[in-house]
Amino acid sequence: MGLLNTLLGRSKPVQANLDSLFGLPSATITLQSAAGIASSGRAGVCYKPPTGQSFADMQTEVMKLLDMDGGGTLRAQQDSYGYHWVVVENPDVEALVSQVHLVNSSLSDAGWGPQLLCSVFGLAPVPGDTGAAALPSGVDGATLLGPTAVVPSTSYLVYLFKRGTFYPFIPDGKEHRDNAAELKLKSLVADDLAIEPELDRWFPLWDLPVG
Amino acid sequence: MSTARNIPSDHGLTVRMFTTGLMIVVLYGAVIGILIAVGISYVLVLALAAALLFAQYWFSDKIALFGMGGRLVTPEQEPQLHGVIDRLCALADMKKPRVAIADTDVPNAFATGRSPNTAVVCATRGLMRRLDEPELEAVLAHELSHVAHRDVAVMTIASFLGIIAGLVTRVMLWTGMMGGFGGDNRGGGNNNNNGADQTALIEMAVLVVSVVVYAISFLLTRALSRYRELAADRSGALLTGQPSVLASALVKVTGDLSRIPTRDLRSTEGFNAFFFTPAIAGKGVSLSTIFSTHPSLDQRLAQLARIEAELGRPA
Repeated sequence: MGLLNTLLGRSKPVQANLDSLFGLPSATITLQSAAGIASSGRAGVCYKPPTGQSFADMQTEVMKLLDMDGGGTLRAQQDSYGYHWVVVENPDVEALVSQVHLVNSSLSDAGWGPQLLCSVFGLAPVPGDTGAAALPSGVDGATLLGPTAVVPSTSYLVYLFKRGTFYPFIPDGKEHRDNAAELKLKSLVADDLAIEPELDRWFPLWDLPVG
Repeated sequence: MSTARNIPSDHGLTVRMFTTGLMIVVLYGAVIGILIAVGISYVLVLALAAALLFAQYWFSDKIALFGMGGRLVTPEQEPQLHGVIDRLCALADMKKPRVAIADTDVPNAFATGRSPNTAVVCATRGLMRRLDEPELEAVLAHELSHVAHRDVAVMTIASFLGIIAGLVTRVMLWTGMMGGFGGDNRGGGNNNNNGADQTALIEMAVLVVSVVVYAISFLLTRALSRYRELAADRSGALLTGQPSVLASALVKVTGDLSRIPTRDLRSTEGFNAFFFTPAIAGKGVSLSTIFSTHPSLDQRLAQLARIEAELGRPA
């Protein structure tokens, strides 16, 4: 099919892959024990809104559905690149992931899978950070990584729909990212999540509305 | 898992492109057959043309960038442009091409490079100055579609024959002028003259055939180029989901192009095949359309309007 598509100048829109999303709760448990980092309770779904009323209708439907689901706050936002965000806030990671999945699967079931760009999950240090010292494996990790192991308060895990993979994103000042911290974060979650193997696909997302 | 929102593929466009491609292949076969029948050293001609074209193909990114004065830019230099391309590539699940900017005020963009791995997408300053952000994104989506469709490779292969025919014509004219047709400078008796007449006839025939082949292959590659532009418009519009934005970018850019003085534009004419819009707008209507590398603005707008309608249809 590849050759035929080349000859005829076609490209098929890529569907979203939602399967690997559910590795996230176990990854946050690992992060909490190994580095004292937990979910910040905020996540966002980013998609490119296509033209037309049918998409707008579906968007309203999804927001209503999420509202009924309850247990968190919702916010719709537009970024400077013309992409739409649905920002979900929920202190419970499992609930957060399932709400994000609800947004994703509704869009994708309505046939708009190709429009999904990524989901972003915020990470933050656990307040007080006592969990790491209490666990035997945590001590190991903490001494190994040293004082710089504490990931900055603004760090994210980005889920790429088209690849079904995660990558870390840690902005550090204006339009600069802390690659060292990102690679550290990656090594921490590598066992729990499917990590994007190609580094040039770890694209930056400045001015995230996920905060 | 998901029911893909079915946007019917454009069968008309597919059929036209397939037919054009088929005709190019048939023409290839015919030319090789003739070369063998005539018995001139077709191996040499083919090898020469292949070498020429391979160089053009292999160095396409460098040639085009050099020709347009484009230079590669890093994400630090152009965060905005890189940001738009990053997102489009993630959306389309393709490898991010290198990004370049040409410091010219002609509003245009092109994609080049022999494969998606070596691809470069270049926008001119003029384009970035004239278009707003969504429009720039739509144009870049069009260029990324060229990369995904491997248009540089396809067009290079398609234009191979035209180059051979042009080469044969030139070689024949040159030998004809140097030695006279049929090589009658050999002089000699009647027997020799008879053979010479025959050779002259054959050489004339080869010349005529190669001129005809050149003309046909020229028209066919132009047609193929137009279809591939339409295909890139289509994929680009589906990628961003907003055909009307690409349409408005097209209107802005083509309107601007015709108003710009020609001296600046002439220097860019050779790169038309990989451009977003051709740098020199044809004046005539019927004849110029079959010679042009790009479909007419009306044709492109009409296609985008159709896609817009398809997207807006309730599921």
